[in-house]
Amino acid sequence: MPEKRDIEINSRADTIGLMDMDVRPYPVTPPPSYDQVKPVYERRKALEFCDWAEDNLRFEKRYAKDETLAGLRVLDIGLWRLGHKFCASLFGESGAEVVSIEPPSGDPLRKLTPFGREEYMLENKFTGEKCGMEFVNETVNTHCVTLDVETEEGREIYKRMANNVDVLIDGMPPGYMDGLGIGYRQLKEVNPRMIYIWIGMLGQWGPWKDKQSKFGQWELEPFASCANSWVHNTGLAQDLLPRGKGGDPTRSGIWLADYVAGGQGYVNALAAMYWREELGGTGQMIEVTGAETLMDILDFDITWYGFNGSIKGRSGGWDPNLNQYAWNPCKDGYMMIGGQTDKLWYNIGFCLEREFTQFGRLIHEDPFLKEMGARNALHALIKTYSLTARWLRDTNRVEAETKLLEYQLAAGPILYIDEVCEFPHFKYRPWVYVHETDYGPLLIASSPSSYQVRAPFRCKWMGRDVGADNYEIYLKWTGLTQTKVNELKQKGVI
Amino acid sequence: MAKDPRVTNIEDLPGPKSKGEMEEWKMPYEEYCKKIFDVGNEHAKPRPLQGIKWLSCTMYIFTPHSVANLAELGAECVKIEMPRMGDAMRHTSPFNECYLYPLHDTRPMTGTGLGFTNANPNKYFLTMDYHIPEMVEIFYGLVKKFDGLTELYRPGTLDKWKMSYRYLSEINPRFIYVWGGGFGYGPKIFGGSYDILGQAHAGLASITGMHEYMGGHATKQTNWVIDWQSSNLITASIMAAIHHRRKTNLGTMIEFSQVQVPTRMLGHTTTMYGKFGIVRQRWGNWDTQLAVHGIILCGKSDFPDAENPQDKFCARYVMVSAFQDADFKELCAITGMNELYEKYKAHKNRVEGEAQVEIYTALERWAADKTRSQVAKILQDAGLLAEPVRNDREVYESPHYRERGTVRWLDDPLFGDMLLHAGYSSGMMEKTPRRINWHWRPVGADNKKIYNEMLGIPLSKIQEWYDKAYI
Repeated sequence: MPEKRDIEINSRADTIGLMDMDVRPYPVTPPPSYDQVKPVYERRKALEFCDWAEDNLRFEKRYAKDETLAGLRVLDIGLWRLGHKFCASLFGESGAEVVSIEPPSGDPLRKLTPFGREEYMLENKFTGEKCGMEFVNETVNTHCVTLDVETEEGREIYKRMANNVDVLIDGMPPGYMDGLGIGYRQLKEVNPRMIYIWIGMLGQWGPWKDKQSKFGQWELEPFASCANSWVHNTGLAQDLLPRGKGGDPTRSGIWLADYVAGGQGYVNALAAMYWREELGGTGQMIEVTGAETLMDILDFDITWYGFNGSIKGRSGGWDPNLNQYAWNPCKDGYMMIGGQTDKLWYNIGFCLEREFTQFGRLIHEDPFLKEMGARNALHALIKTYSLTARWLRDTNRVEAETKLLEYQLAAGPILYIDEVCEFPHFKYRPWVYVHETDYGPLLIASSPSSYQVRAPFRCKWMGRDVGADNYEIYLKWTGLTQTKVNELKQKGVI
Repeated sequence: MAKDPRVTNIEDLPGPKSKGEMEEWKMPYEEYCKKIFDVGNEHAKPRPLQGIKWLSCTMYIFTPHSVANLAELGAECVKIEMPRMGDAMRHTSPFNECYLYPLHDTRPMTGTGLGFTNANPNKYFLTMDYHIPEMVEIFYGLVKKFDGLTELYRPGTLDKWKMSYRYLSEINPRFIYVWGGGFGYGPKIFGGSYDILGQAHAGLASITGMHEYMGGHATKQTNWVIDWQSSNLITASIMAAIHHRRKTNLGTMIEFSQVQVPTRMLGHTTTMYGKFGIVRQRWGNWDTQLAVHGIILCGKSDFPDAENPQDKFCARYVMVSAFQDADFKELCAITGMNELYEKYKAHKNRVEGEAQVEIYTALERWAADKTRSQVAKILQDAGLLAEPVRNDREVYESPHYRERGTVRWLDDPLFGDMLLHAGYSSGMMEKTPRRINWHWRPVGADNKKIYNEMLGIPLSKIQEWYDKAYI
């Protein structure tokens, strides 16, 4: 713990550095110890199994285990978006050698920082180069190489690299690589075993294919989630809040469709690889779009329209399919309560009516609400949640959670990121941990695929300077020597 | 390569090898893509996971869909449900409105609710009660024949019945075992979980929705996105494990917690808290890192006379994006905000919070007397990026998804016509496309196929089990 000192804060700039991890250590409270968790295991008479699980699955053991895709070569080219980056990161986390190509000026995503605040960019401790946090977080285990594929020499180098790869991820606009003569059509002639994945917003073909503005600006998320009704269906209804003041269709806080597309890109590519390796297949082209992969997981929404012409509207924190299954405002935030089956439904009631006796009378004694399916009717949702929110109005999140958990319910508050990072279970696993990087120690989320007996995913490094791996990769992948790389750098090719 | 330099083979020369290939090379790229994906002929091409067999001991959305991905890719998947009851999602439907009944139903009261949609296509449906020791023996017989399973029960439950990875790997060392649930080992190991709990607990809800000062609330993503996206990432782990097994001949166990998935997708949120102590808040329909890049409200609806309120009142939103300097300049020129361009020439200035409030307010003022399509058209005609926010009907009617085959009708022999928006939309593959054979089948529809034809159990025995409700 550093010693106390007097500081004067006149502007936001004065606070930079006061919050860093060496000053404000993480976590604030230590994670639970095994001795604290053991009684949890014992209470359910599952100690032996849980010990076995900890011995075999623990996050801390990931480095000692195999890397699934070791030896596989993946080339990734793209800008701006997270779709191709998330896909490339999954390959990197599972052990493939991933090379990401950026133009010599770097991916513009590197420059993005919340509200344009440069003081929140990360600085490489060794070189002083700055990079935005989003880029660093979404490029896991990828080698950063620069190449201008719009030059003749750049294309020759790109072709030489593509000749030797198993997977190529293309995150460029539709037809861009093909127009340069280095797209799937041309590369498959020399490398017919290559699996080529194009990842974008809406498609490389079709009436709504990806567009650019006349100045060359790209379509980024949430264009994809606006195109598949996801945005239209998310948010609070105008009956709950005035339109223009919260009662509107709402985008996700993250570039959601990009993550879905990246995940499906990885799944499809590995399936194609299985076919290639195990069933005597060849390489092939795969096309994954954010709009469609997100539509793939849009519950039943479009099917519902086909069924009876229903157009799904917005229902805020409520779910139109289950009751109770929602979050509602409470005294200090929002509280999520879930319990659909009769057992859980009445348990919620038993808990609430201890303090709010009318809840039992109005809910349990309503004959309409006694049948599980019938409880999903809109007016039933309105009645249930109005009364639940009445109880929550005077209850804190922690009080509500404690009381509801006594009744074996799945209930929990909406947590902000500081609370997420201090959540005991998250720290025990850990799902959020401090990773040492070139940018100093960073608090990051671990990969959910890291908990495996044999070959867990893992983060080795994140982010890197523009062209940080030029010498190593060009030598290894194309045989270009340092002198030659320097020469090309002079010419602006690398 | 010891090739005779005097011999010239056409195969060795660069360029097209045949007339067909030459045409393919000359084809516009878009047409080429359309040709190789060959929408509508998916079933004529090979299945990439042909021969993989997977057990789906699953319910709800999260774990079933991790197997559905495999089934769409051509694996043979068997879903095991509780006798008589089946998956709880079969009894779930939006506002309790929509149930589908098999055209040849022997039990007419058991319709299947739309909540069951998309999580179980192409699977075979088996019933089995694991509480019966006799059935556990049968289960072992399946484990010997299958490559893996996905289950979702509370940790230790299947271990109690000697059906956990510890036991199954003795029977079949190549077995890949997946547990999918909320939390996994640790203090909350026995905590139940839903999609909505994942959204709430892991930080996603705290950054989705309108800002408090705009009067908004933390907002649920419309779909069970954490269930679905976690299931896709389970499939990613399964595919990686299958590749590991190809090399080592060893199975594995994967423990996958859905509550963790949203945190992994929060981008810079966690790091920003760790390094700068800043707790990220909601920023509504705008973007914290780009401006202009947000959804605006227009004054008039596109369909003022429509009957459906979603068309009538909500067709008023447009996504507008002009964050690069030239685009922003053009946007300001068209919308009469030149003074704002002068004020916020640099991106880092216009992306500041106060600037965003000012710019979007001005944009909405400009759009106040226009419809959604007018706004989109004006901006598109000027070469800028703007798209209406579409609803379910517009997605259904979209020529784009129709042409790409990602929204299409399925004529199911049991349930009749059903509109599909999943499966084909999870990615196009040129040579081994994904496909949907059927959407779902009734509870226990394939008992005979699996118990009798695969395991050789006499039909009389199966009848006896059925009468005792073992299956």
